[in-house]
Amino acid sequence: MHDAQTKLRETAKDLLVSAKVDLVLGFQNGSLPLRTRPCFARNAADAGRLVWNRLCTNNLAVYLPRLFEKPANVRGPWTPPKVAVVAKGCDARSIMGLVKEHQVIRENVVIIAMPCQGMISLRKAEAAGASARTSKLDGDDLVAQACLECIQPSVPGANIIIDGPSRSAASDRFQRVKDFEALTAAERWQQFVAQVSKCIRCYACRQACPNCYCKTCFIDQTKPSWAGVGDDPTDLLLFHIGRVFHQAGRCVECDACVRACPVGIDLRLFTQKLVKDVEELFGYVPGTSLEEAPPLSTYRPDDSECFITDP
Amino acid sequence: MTLGAIKKEHLGQLVAAVGAHGGFYGPVLRDNDVCLDQVQPSDTLVLDYANFTLPPKGLFFPRSEVIATHGADGMVETPLPTGKAVLFGVRPCDAMSLTYLDKVFMEAQFADPYYRARRERTLTIALACRDPAATCFCTSVAGSPSGQGGADILAVDIGDALVLESATPAGEAFLAEYRKLLGRPSDNQVKARDAQVAQAVRKVSSIGSDGVTARLQASSESAAWEELAERCLGCGVCTFLCPTCHCFGLYDEEVGPQGRRVRAQDACVFPAFTLEASGHNPRTRQGLRMRHRVMHKFCYTAQSFGDIFCVGCGRCIVNCPANMDIRETLTEVPP
Repeated sequence: MHDAQTKLRETAKDLLVSAKVDLVLGFQNGSLPLRTRPCFARNAADAGRLVWNRLCTNNLAVYLPRLFEKPANVRGPWTPPKVAVVAKGCDARSIMGLVKEHQVIRENVVIIAMPCQGMISLRKAEAAGASARTSKLDGDDLVAQACLECIQPSVPGANIIIDGPSRSAASDRFQRVKDFEALTAAERWQQFVAQVSKCIRCYACRQACPNCYCKTCFIDQTKPSWAGVGDDPTDLLLFHIGRVFHQAGRCVECDACVRACPVGIDLRLFTQKLVKDVEELFGYVPGTSLEEAPPLSTYRPDDSECFITDP
Repeated sequence: MTLGAIKKEHLGQLVAAVGAHGGFYGPVLRDNDVCLDQVQPSDTLVLDYANFTLPPKGLFFPRSEVIATHGADGMVETPLPTGKAVLFGVRPCDAMSLTYLDKVFMEAQFADPYYRARRERTLTIALACRDPAATCFCTSVAGSPSGQGGADILAVDIGDALVLESATPAGEAFLAEYRKLLGRPSDNQVKARDAQVAQAVRKVSSIGSDGVTARLQASSESAAWEELAERCLGCGVCTFLCPTCHCFGLYDEEVGPQGRRVRAQDACVFPAFTLEASGHNPRTRQGLRMRHRVMHKFCYTAQSFGDIFCVGCGRCIVNCPANMDIRETLTEVPP
């Protein structure tokens, strides 16, 4: 892990000093125990602050669409930046998706593939208490559920590979979804309502999601207004169903929405159900290749319709 | 000033006695999380928490509320809440936040009838902090882990009992009314309380925010705001979890043949907050929005109300998904 960090700093420094990139998006130490924070490294000194450990949780792909958008205050021609991204498997899958959706210029992005052993879940660490925390940082005890169920810890589309110990891919990651599917419709509905009723509509799930780059989210539109502003379950459900459904064939299971939610809504259960459906019905896993067209942009006569007729 | 004391094991009796005359709101477990809620007979009060995820402002200024309905009969305003309520267990920082919200919703030019009714029907018992969190900085913003501001009574946990002290006439009357349950503390209990108060304040770190209002004012054109905001995701976690953020919007919604007027909390960190009908938005960038939020708390309210509207609870620090840290913003933004 420490070797990887040293190599990362050297790599980032080289990229910046040789002007191959304008910016390295990575992680630096945060202001709290067990927290790192996104680092926008622009020179050699910044590169020296980069860290790599099991606390590098954020999905940095979220910052890319806005970096490739021409700033409102720039008149005349504008050259999009060259950006290197310190990427875990999930982050790189997000980048692949954003390239396919024309939000990111592939040629302008250098993907620095990091060895990922799974990231620590702050919630699990808090529940474990301070003493358990320090002794368990190396094992799998405090690793986020999404990481335990990760099918592709390796980094797709890597431009630079930094070696190190990484976890192997999980085999069956859908057990919880299967348990959920086995419930009656009424029970599933109850569980869904109980979760979204906690929502305070801070939209942290949306803002932390690399896929949520819409200039104006449907929930913020006023003409027409799609949902009320209050805490009526109908309105809360509309936001969450709307947001999750917009992730069909796009969600790479990075867990950013779950981590960002301050009230602990179990969003992963719903995104994972969608991931499972897309995988089983359309044989598509988002973010794994640049060539394969996303299921929502293609049509085959034999496409499954069971999700319409047999929900 | 009147004193009282109650053994922890007798708290349930107090909840029942008060509950017979109105609502008792206190720290209870909901979904494995300690939060403020109306205490049910099946609940046990929890006393060992740093603070609640959600601030108490929602009890007085809910995230959303229907303030009127309209239909064939015209507009019908929602009746004001009535009945007595006791709010137990808010931390002193959060109790302090209520005095700031009072300035906005009760003491400014236009009083808010719903906020006022909820505040006036509620007696607040703050619970002093034993173990302030590493992110607490109340002593840097005019607070204290055993501050009485905003509370009618301050309770101090001395291990097996709570020692209570009234801070307002309403608090004094409450101690008198429940004197049977709230006996007088022994000299030893008072000594234990004083020791507890003294140790807690030592645990709160200072952030060196002296002169912050003037410093921030001079920084309004600083490039540091855009640099800071580069990392910000633009969500509303800091705003909605802040005990003093109080912006709201009014919305008319259709519900079948009826309509309703909803007041809902809003956040200045969202672009739509300043979007004008013309389509123009004066705060186009996250840096401008972040600057506004910080300036509002540490400059504008200091000018218009005489107080910095931050109580040092640390919620915005703990919960920010990008680890933005207001302590750094306050000390590092250069003029």
